[in-house]
Amino acid sequence: MTDIASSPACTASRRAFLTRRNREKWMAWLRPVISISVPLLIWELASRLGWINSFLFPPPSQILTALWVQAGPQGRPPYAIFYHVFASMMRIVIGVGLALVVGTVVGMLIALTAWGRAIFRPIISAIMPVPTLAWTPVLLLVFGIDNRTTITVVLIATSFEIIYNVVAGLDMLSKRVFWVARSMGASHTQTFFKVIVPGVLPYLITGLRIGIGFAWRALIAAEMLAASSYGLGFMIFDAAEYFNIDIIFGGIMLIAILGLLLENVVLGRLEAATIKRWGVQVER
Amino acid sequence: MTDIQIERADGRASALAAGSARRLLAGIRFVAPVFGMLLVWELVVRAGLVDGRVLPPPSLIAARGFEMVFDTEHAVLLQHIGHSLYRAVAAFAIAVVVALPLGFWLGLNRTAYNWISPILSVLLPLPAVAWTPIFLVTLGHGDATIISVCFLGAVFPVLYSTIQGVRAIPPHTIWVVRSMGAPRHAIFTKVLVPASLPTVMTGFKLGLAHSWRTLVAAEMLAALSYGLGYMIFAARQYMDTQTMFVGIVLLAMLGFIFEHFLFGTVERATIRRWYAHHRKGG
Repeated sequence: MTDIASSPACTASRRAFLTRRNREKWMAWLRPVISISVPLLIWELASRLGWINSFLFPPPSQILTALWVQAGPQGRPPYAIFYHVFASMMRIVIGVGLALVVGTVVGMLIALTAWGRAIFRPIISAIMPVPTLAWTPVLLLVFGIDNRTTITVVLIATSFEIIYNVVAGLDMLSKRVFWVARSMGASHTQTFFKVIVPGVLPYLITGLRIGIGFAWRALIAAEMLAASSYGLGFMIFDAAEYFNIDIIFGGIMLIAILGLLLENVVLGRLEAATIKRWGVQVER
Repeated sequence: MTDIQIERADGRASALAAGSARRLLAGIRFVAPVFGMLLVWELVVRAGLVDGRVLPPPSLIAARGFEMVFDTEHAVLLQHIGHSLYRAVAAFAIAVVVALPLGFWLGLNRTAYNWISPILSVLLPLPAVAWTPIFLVTLGHGDATIISVCFLGAVFPVLYSTIQGVRAIPPHTIWVVRSMGAPRHAIFTKVLVPASLPTVMTGFKLGLAHSWRTLVAAEMLAALSYGLGYMIFAARQYMDTQTMFVGIVLLAMLGFIFEHFLFGTVERATIRRWYAHHRKGG
């Protein structure tokens, strides 16, 4: 055994294998960097050399400079980017927080009570096909140009997905689990905290992750239609009125990066943690 | 023998009757709460508990809808619907034409997939509506901008599903068919297309739904004259909430039809047939 392992041919092949694995690992890191930066580089060159209209497609370096200036004291207003990002984030956090409460309550009513199911299910399936943003003009009439309008759009965009997943999670809990808990003498509160909550939580977080994806899309559009002063959607739409193309592209980049972070990194981690803790894999 | 047959037929008839009765009951169970909600809404508004100018009663919304179709002076609704449908379907069609070959290529070519997927994963969570300002500046208000934005909304779900569908095909299947001497186009039409079809169909469904949902926002931001989104947003300026709700109801109904009936029929016509056939074969 040791003979074979320490023979020169074997170590050579093992080393080759290891370096290949190492290279694979490096490539996994390097590939996204290259595949995203090469198009940007071509864009930069094409714009600088005049192959494409450099007013409509300013080079990425100019876009980053514009973002940098807007994020500093020279921006109009000073530190504008931070205000815009903060406004969007505040709206999404409040809206999603409300959706979490509303969605969980309605989802539990649907899954656990007969009357809740009878009342809410048809109403939800009647309202759900309405594109979220179609509500914006109505909300504008009710609330005016105000944070409440954009927050309500986020609430609507997120809650259906959360309701759906809470119901799915509770339906997956078989009746037997309840019977077992009951027969072992668990009280109602114990059943709730020890059986229902751990059973539903993974589904709830999956619903949250998908819902936040929808909410981010809806929020940006709603901010274009209904924000008065701050928010990333407002920023790019306002920049279009003044033909600040570099700010528009910069805003789009920020929206993409923040969306990716919200959906995949923050909630992806959370989802992975709950799956690890409770071991329920949600099939979606 | 005949007795048994008759009995069987009898049993089947009663089973069918029971089935349709059950379906009727389910239908009633579904419709009743919706009607209940509409009734409560109507009564609440009529009783003055809610401002009728903000939330018009359903009867008035329905009346406005009829007026907008049949009254010759205000008969603009069909034009709005027509423009919206044209934009959504055109954007979806372009998305399919672009995404389907690209998806097959990325699904089959591992190197290409590895290099291009980082770009896709950045573009995928980006809201299509965020591109609107760019298109507004380059293309101006109108159909070109709206269709471009909806195209971006529709193309990624179709592309993503196609890639997933093609990548999920086990290579053995292709090897087996190839080793039996099938030409390349036969591998494509007899293996790749049928095997990836269910996933691709899901992508189509999602793509059209995204196109439709993006359309509303794009029309509000960029339409000049017609379209349901434009209609809703323009009605806001006159505080014409009845027209706004007509638009919302229509958007929901058309979206529902797209998702459930249109693709339901296509699915039955292709997937069920092919897969039922496969099952029969063994």
